[in-house]
Amino acid sequence: MPGLGVKNRVEEIIEMEKKETRSAAEFPDEISFSRVIEEHQRQVYALALRLTGNAAAADDLTQETFISAWKHLKNFRGDSSLKTWLLRIAANKVRSYWRWKKLRAWVGLGRRDEDGEEPALEEILPDAPSGRPEQAALAADLERRVQAAISALPPRQREVAALKAQGLSGEEIAGVLGMAEGTVKAHWFEARKKLEASLGEYL
Amino acid sequence: MNDDEKDKKLLSLLAAPQSEAFWTRQKEAIIAATRRKSGPARAWLLVPAAGLAALLVAVFGSQLQGPRSDAPQAVSTAFLEHLDLLDDMDVLEAIPEEEL
Repeated sequence: MPGLGVKNRVEEIIEMEKKETRSAAEFPDEISFSRVIEEHQRQVYALALRLTGNAAAADDLTQETFISAWKHLKNFRGDSSLKTWLLRIAANKVRSYWRWKKLRAWVGLGRRDEDGEEPALEEILPDAPSGRPEQAALAADLERRVQAAISALPPRQREVAALKAQGLSGEEIAGVLGMAEGTVKAHWFEARKKLEASLGEYL
Repeated sequence: MNDDEKDKKLLSLLAAPQSEAFWTRQKEAIIAATRRKSGPARAWLLVPAAGLAALLVAVFGSQLQGPRSDAPQAVSTAFLEHLDLLDDMDVLEAIPEEEL
């Protein structure tokens, strides 16, 4: 009987919708936000780490970025990708971090070791880089060289390089940093030249 | 190695090396922080109710205190009048009974 089959299918769809509505109502935002974190935390953290050179600060800034995103998620219009939006928040947080550090240094509150761009190596390296001491030493050396090379760049070149490393296009970087695309290209040209000179042996 | 490959290799060096445990710990910390941040924000919703409760307490409190504040004043007035009478006692004693 075809009529019965259609009825069953309708009931099935209604039941499915009910289930979907229930699960969405029970866990409306947290699960989806958890996925957003999983998807983008590496990029946000890497950006913060390369721009601050400090693992603890990068961790804090990553948290602050996602908390801001959580608060303002309703205001996200979707004009840019979620990744670009998050990285823009992170870049602004990093700029605020540097302003705060400069202010602290100016009033004489900043410790000298805090102002150094060299991060403690154990802060940056993975908990267990590879389980073998010689590989851990190589990883440590590479990490030290990479961070030193990027920290030596002027601020704008550093921002462009760190955002490029997160897979953003020139246009997206221009949007994040509020500069012309041509300026982004010029900064990347200079940054790449310097990074290649510093890290040539690893390329 | 051509320029594109060199670019890719260079940019891959800028990634942040961390263990899976680090990312999990960080994600949990972020979620916990967002919960903490949401808590006080929701508590602010109770402010109008708390304000109304405080207003009611103030109104009822003043109503309850009203008669009490009047009572001591009445007593003290009577007391003062009594004192006045006592002061005038000598005069009263001096007045002949017929005039009272």
